[in-house]
Amino acid sequence: MAQPGSVEDFLAKALDAAKSAGEIIRSGFYESKVVHHKGEVDLVTETDKKCEQLIFDFLKQQYPNHKFIGEETSAACGTEELTDDPTWIVDPVDGTTNFVHGFPFVCVSIGLTIGKIPTVGVVYNPIMNELFTAVRGKGAFLNGEPIKVSSQNELVKSLLVTEVGTKRDTATVDAATNRINSLLFQVQAIRSCGSTALDLCGIACGRLDLFYQHGFGPWDVAAGFVIVTEAGGLVYDPTGKDADITIPQIAASNPHLKDVFVKALQWK
Amino acid sequence: MEDFLAAAVEAARKAGEIIRAGFYGKKGVEHKGLVDLVTETDKGCEELIFTFLKQKFPDHKFIGEETTAALGPEELTNEPTWIVDPLDGTTNFVHSFPFVCVSIGLTIQKVPTVGVVYNPIMDELFTAIRGKGSFLNGNPIKASSQTELVKSLLATEVGTKRDKPTMDDVTNRIKSLLFKVRSVRMGGSCALNLCGIACGRLDLTYEIGFGGAWDVAAGAVIVTEAGGLVFDPSGKDFDLTSQRVAASNAFLKDAFVDTLQQSE
Repeated sequence: MAQPGSVEDFLAKALDAAKSAGEIIRSGFYESKVVHHKGEVDLVTETDKKCEQLIFDFLKQQYPNHKFIGEETSAACGTEELTDDPTWIVDPVDGTTNFVHGFPFVCVSIGLTIGKIPTVGVVYNPIMNELFTAVRGKGAFLNGEPIKVSSQNELVKSLLVTEVGTKRDTATVDAATNRINSLLFQVQAIRSCGSTALDLCGIACGRLDLFYQHGFGPWDVAAGFVIVTEAGGLVYDPTGKDADITIPQIAASNPHLKDVFVKALQWK
Repeated sequence: MEDFLAAAVEAARKAGEIIRAGFYGKKGVEHKGLVDLVTETDKGCEELIFTFLKQKFPDHKFIGEETTAALGPEELTNEPTWIVDPLDGTTNFVHSFPFVCVSIGLTIQKVPTVGVVYNPIMDELFTAIRGKGSFLNGNPIKASSQTELVKSLLATEVGTKRDKPTMDDVTNRIKSLLFKVRSVRMGGSCALNLCGIACGRLDLTYEIGFGGAWDVAAGAVIVTEAGGLVFDPSGKDFDLTSQRVAASNAFLKDAFVDTLQQSE
């Protein structure tokens, strides 16, 4: 059993929380859902709220001195500032639109930052039964097996994933699709699956080579950040600077592709 | 018909084994185009499926993606014709991205009549016979009952042509649709997009300029037997060999076609 207060203990508790939330997601997945709108196409369901409550209650009990940032709590009360304190950053259902439609790319995403650095990451897709985990310095795993980013070094042979997000103003949609158009000439193909956390995990296990997104919350990327870096990948700002998970723009790839990808992303 | 379905399912499962066995390993990739890929698995699966079905049904005709690539297109006649994509989602296969499938369709008098689509990585077997309903792993499936475009989930693909006019058309269409639908998905397999419509996890799909009839022959039966519609993106009747397809549930077709027209 992991030493209480150790990172292994944090991981073990995050796993427990993710599995419990995963059960709730799985049992609701094929049923009718009551959908509320945070925005025209930005959805939330009772499952999102129930899972966030469950995860927070469980982890707060274990670690009463830790801080918590969750998607649904932030939607209700505003986003807490990220401090150096151990902070659990949680998306209880990433891919809510997919959940509503029964499209199997959904997950729980639980990240822990210490000193603002993503240190523990758990992403669990209970429909496809894929559990991604990582602890800083200790590698990344899919269902207990070590994973590594791809070794692809050519953009034109790379599989890119991005999401269109939930903002539908003309400027955002224009920028998103113009960017896709520009990248299409340079990469092998493009995927859009509906879950930022699972996109990052796809980079980590090598089934995707390139990822970028504009417009998301820190809960979408906190766990994936550790999982990618522990799998040998890089997570960065699309301009090439260091990533800041509280700023809603991010990119990820294996190390060979970073420079060419950053260049390709500087579309004007 | 049940014999045809049983044979198609058996062939699909055998090919699925080959796909599963090769999925996580290294692949030898050849290029039919800059980003249009083919592997030994594609060719091996097509050969296996053809050999198996030819043995059972020696008088039937066969159209397959890789045979066509090698020898040129066969014309579709009224004869019972097996139309096969041995591995739809080859790019996904090469990258070990789990949206891959075998697609086996049978047309009789040019009408898609039997359809089998099998994703061996996610273990999802979609089947349908004209007049007899659609199934996922043996359980009946139905298209969604969504009536509003703005609450609909759309799937499409960017295809494998990379000339500027095509790319501009593709992204302008997506841009135009993004203002009208809930969200867009791109999974990398046309056949699986059609199956997504059939089981209700997607509401809308279209693709303009894909490989051939092998991408849609099976999916077309599976969608229609699930209560969905398959049509040309212009709203006209679906033409299996046109390399154009759209599909949705019955409620959304008109609004979808209107939006596609506006995006031209």
